[in-house]
Amino acid sequence: MDILIGSLFAGLLIGMILALVALGLTIIFGVMDIVNFAHGEFLMIGMYTGLLTAQGLGIDPLFTLPVAALVGFLLGIICYFGFIKFIIRGPMVAQLLGTFGLMLFLRNLALLIFGSEDRAVHTGLLVGKSFDLGLGIIVPATKLAAAGLSVAAFFAVWMLMHRTRVGKALTATALDAQGARYMGIPTERMNALAWGIGGASVTIAGALLVNFWSVNPFIGLLFTMIAFAIVALGGFGSIPGAFFAGLVVGLITEIPGFWDFFSYTFDAEWMMDVPMTSFKYMWVYVAYFLIVVFRPRGLFGWKQ
Amino acid sequence: MKTFVKSWISVLSVLLMMVFLAPAGTMAAEEIKIGVIYPLTGGAAAAGRELRAGAELAAEIANSTMADLPMTMAQNSGVKSLGGAKIKLIFKDHEGNPTLGADQAKKLILDDKVDGILGCYFSSVTKTVSAVCEQYGIPMINGSSTSPALTERGFKWFWRTTPHDKWFTKDLFELLVGLTEGKVKGVKAIPKKDIINIASACEKTEWGSHVSELIKEFSKEYKFKLRKSFLYAAKSADLSSEVRSLKASRADVMLFASYTSDAILMVKTLKAQKAQPKIIWGQDAGFEKPEFRETLGDSISGILTRTVFLPKVVEIKKLAGQVNDMYKKKTGNDLGGASARAFTGLQTWVAVLEKAGSTKPADIQKAANAIYIPGKELVVPWQGIKFASTGNEMGQNVLGSGLIGQYQKNKDGKIELEIVYPFDVSSADMIFPFAGF
Repeated sequence: MDILIGSLFAGLLIGMILALVALGLTIIFGVMDIVNFAHGEFLMIGMYTGLLTAQGLGIDPLFTLPVAALVGFLLGIICYFGFIKFIIRGPMVAQLLGTFGLMLFLRNLALLIFGSEDRAVHTGLLVGKSFDLGLGIIVPATKLAAAGLSVAAFFAVWMLMHRTRVGKALTATALDAQGARYMGIPTERMNALAWGIGGASVTIAGALLVNFWSVNPFIGLLFTMIAFAIVALGGFGSIPGAFFAGLVVGLITEIPGFWDFFSYTFDAEWMMDVPMTSFKYMWVYVAYFLIVVFRPRGLFGWKQ
Repeated sequence: MKTFVKSWISVLSVLLMMVFLAPAGTMAAEEIKIGVIYPLTGGAAAAGRELRAGAELAAEIANSTMADLPMTMAQNSGVKSLGGAKIKLIFKDHEGNPTLGADQAKKLILDDKVDGILGCYFSSVTKTVSAVCEQYGIPMINGSSTSPALTERGFKWFWRTTPHDKWFTKDLFELLVGLTEGKVKGVKAIPKKDIINIASACEKTEWGSHVSELIKEFSKEYKFKLRKSFLYAAKSADLSSEVRSLKASRADVMLFASYTSDAILMVKTLKAQKAQPKIIWGQDAGFEKPEFRETLGDSISGILTRTVFLPKVVEIKKLAGQVNDMYKKKTGNDLGGASARAFTGLQTWVAVLEKAGSTKPADIQKAANAIYIPGKELVVPWQGIKFASTGNEMGQNVLGSGLIGQYQKNKDGKIELEIVYPFDVSSADMIFPFAGF
């Protein structure tokens, strides 16, 4: 039983963080209809920012969130004004290839600066500590804190989008950019803001992740793929959808845990022999594939 | 003018005679050329320097007389049966590249006309170089490549002194059996049911997946229950579901084949998940790297790793201590796994030449197949050197053995590797069961 509850818990915790990873992607898509292939690279930059700031100041990466958020915000804005603004006028293919190029550029830049080896946080207030919740369920402190902060960040973005004038302007731009422009909303600035918020939320997720994941310049692709799956599942442009789908995808990555639970409960040899953990991300892509085929709008999608 | 020419002709002829006669005069002390191919530059250059120094030290000892060293090659200057011929090493660099290694081997054989080859550390390079040697019929001795496949090809000109991964994995199971029989220093015999459940997690390149297969084979042979066995990507940034799976298996013994960063991540995650198996064992590599010790600190106390040479050997084996002193004087460092095995590789070359009494490949081949060097003449803690000349492991030294070390805190509070296997050379009481993180 502890295996089952342990996996459930772990799945939900990682799901909360993955939801935050996907949030930026869905905001940018919602406002501008542009798919950012470099999203995972933004996350990678967030991870490096968290790691280096933490090591530089000798603190936990958990406390580097403001720095990571600022870096992500500026990165988003710079990318928008320096690059996206121009390719957005081109055809869809140009946008896809453009952000793909951005991905390659950022990745190789990171490779040049940081080298290819894995880096990880080894010391800190919470690193290596864990809570025993009874029933044999053990939750690493860093993961719990990261999940909690993820939810907080998620909520903050949701509040911004729904309870402020800026948020309303963003939503208006998302719904009908031309109409919004006629109403006096500076849509250009709104687009930039969407990139800023998107960038900040994903770099925050990076700074949270680096508490228990190691980072290398190639880490982005995995998260780009997962974020795509989450956004597809939740519906492109939907913020609550991203949260809900994040939790679902988190649970999907725990399928090997559930498998273990059943194999030991039934004491089934053949089940124990299946190396499920080697395929843990496969199920995410299976889910992605199914959703794209059977419900392209996603569960909460409102954009066609 | 005529006399001038005449005198020149006589001077020239005298010089010419000297040129032709000189080798005849020194024929007795001819040189024996051994081509040595190691990774002297590139990623493994540090290991390459160690290997080179180990081989050079062995050559120095062979070429001079050191009566106080209890090994045959130290007793005479040069190879006695070849009239005191000196060993000359010709080093070549393979940079970790199998193709370059093969080219270097061809150069050594065709241009330098070497009598034999020693090398190459990387199993992949040893594979191509030994194929070249096989083609030209030139003997090759390998001291430090551990891929089991190398001696499974039925080569006639290839001999390997180091034990390979199969042996190392077998050592582990011998240790487990030893635990149940009360053979382990400081541990009373424990019932087999206490350690019968095994789980393994190995990285998924050729090395790790091979070790994983070996663990499967041996757990069947030694009648242990392999409850969980899987491969993972060494580049994984997160191993928490893997560790939960290991924990879920309720294994008493957890086995790993990991490179550096994943070994650290694995142990960190085990710690975070409060895993507490009775034994944690790593197949060398990441588990023996200095970073592993530095990053994880005291928490690794009690973890086992297989290895081939530890500084502790020097304390137990007098000969190893003597050679270590010489090595330290030469390089400033202690003998390590790479240098000790390179030393032994060249020592074996000298012994084979001594036995052959000739540099003809066929004679060397015959001598190598019949060679026996007792363990007391070696710096490494093996029973000796004797090559299999038949069967499916042709050319493999059958008397080698690995070591299993355990991280323990010493008196000064520093984490050190103590030997717990083989039992007769164990340097400390084994910590059993693993006390948890």
